[in-house]
Amino acid sequence: MLLPDHSYVKAESLEECLKTLRETGEKAKVIAGGTDVIFNMRLKLFQPEVAVSIRGLKDLLQVEELDDGSVRIGAACRLADLIDHPLAGGRYPAFRQSLEAVASTHIRNMGTLGGNICLETRCWYTNNSDQWREGLQGCYKTDSELCHVIKSSTKCHAINNSDTPPALIALGATLTLQKEGAKREVPIAEFYRADGVDFSVLGPGEIVTHVTIPPVSDRQVFIKITPRKGMDFSLGAVAARCDGEGEQISNIIIVLGSLVTAPVVLDKPAQVVLEAGLTDDAIEKAADLVRDELGEVSNLYGRSIYKRQIAIVLVKRALTQLREQ
Amino acid sequence: MAKHLVTLTVNGDTYDLVVSDNQTLLDVIRDEVNLKGTKRGCTTGSCGVCCINNAKGEAVLSCLTHALEWDGEEITTIEGLEADGELDAMQKAFIEYGAVQCGFCTPGVIMSAKAIINAHPEPTKEQINAGLAGVNCRCTGHIKVKEAIRNDHRIRELGRGTRD
Repeated sequence: MLLPDHSYVKAESLEECLKTLRETGEKAKVIAGGTDVIFNMRLKLFQPEVAVSIRGLKDLLQVEELDDGSVRIGAACRLADLIDHPLAGGRYPAFRQSLEAVASTHIRNMGTLGGNICLETRCWYTNNSDQWREGLQGCYKTDSELCHVIKSSTKCHAINNSDTPPALIALGATLTLQKEGAKREVPIAEFYRADGVDFSVLGPGEIVTHVTIPPVSDRQVFIKITPRKGMDFSLGAVAARCDGEGEQISNIIIVLGSLVTAPVVLDKPAQVVLEAGLTDDAIEKAADLVRDELGEVSNLYGRSIYKRQIAIVLVKRALTQLREQ
Repeated sequence: MAKHLVTLTVNGDTYDLVVSDNQTLLDVIRDEVNLKGTKRGCTTGSCGVCCINNAKGEAVLSCLTHALEWDGEEITTIEGLEADGELDAMQKAFIEYGAVQCGFCTPGVIMSAKAIINAHPEPTKEQINAGLAGVNCRCTGHIKVKEAIRNDHRIRELGRGTRD
């Protein structure tokens, strides 16, 4: 079974890649590791006329420390190479945990950081073959005005199911986005949009080229819950980071992933533990507030009522672990 | 569809191949190089039966990557393990521990197992579990496979494994 017809362009340089992307417009799909793009091509969700490979681009393969102590990582770095890298997984424990949580060893040996950040959103309907999907009407991602996850919805509710974004948001990372003739920096916290079809702020012909993580304290945690450890997409994930000693914290960010169309930064629960410290009472109170911040919860595996409960459990676990660090 | 000339080294032999844009590495291994040991399973990255080793000896999935991406690279497939008519220690271990049932997934499982040994010559239980997470045997299961992998180094050194 061959892939659907398309042409394949292996760009020699970043400039050439961006030029090709501008010229081909919406007909093109950027491909690096291939684990998500080819997967979606097999499901006929992606039908690009041109696949532009950025896998070997030297500009996107560096991991370097900047003058201000930040670490800049090229988007084409493989997930497997970052886990043990002294400047990546070695420096940021939550980032390391999130990298290790991605799929299987095989996938991590191919998939890239940029690919994980730009992972296509998924739901129980779109994560199946086109023959399977034929049994039901299409959806916003294919050819109909309908969302199978939340029937009354006016937009796509597929989930952002990638593991590294919650960790990178908690660590305060910034993405470098480039298109031909333009370059901009966007905090990863502002990168995702609450729409499963158009789920990021990436414009036409624009790609993520680098991820910059600022120097932060070691009090950080990432937890992912899956049906089978070591392969499945997440039922829910949490990343959190704080400054300070013991129960007294001076700065905290809590992020939930894999529950809705974009990672969710939890403001009110963070405010509670910031004011009261990481006491048992405050953690309980913070977890109680999680439900209110989630909005409509979509599903890939597990029912939404289960996923709401998981969100509460994840936040409790993350805060308890932070207290012990 | 455009065709391109690609040089690919498979199991130490270099091939000049004419490859089209929409062929995956798996298509080329099976249909152009004509090595049928690497199997076509789910083709979506869930089952791992198409697993091969790259030049670094890491496990990668040949069904999820364009063949054109591998121009000039070296790969090892299941056929490359046997040397001078003798099976590799890992293959012997799989036979000794009965880590085979229908055998369809076995090439992918053995190449995944080789990747574990390449990274960790005497792997821990956790390292074996992590390395096998991407392969899915539907009949014999993973218990005997793990036993075989644990004994690979003993077969290599002593010529036989032990039961523990």
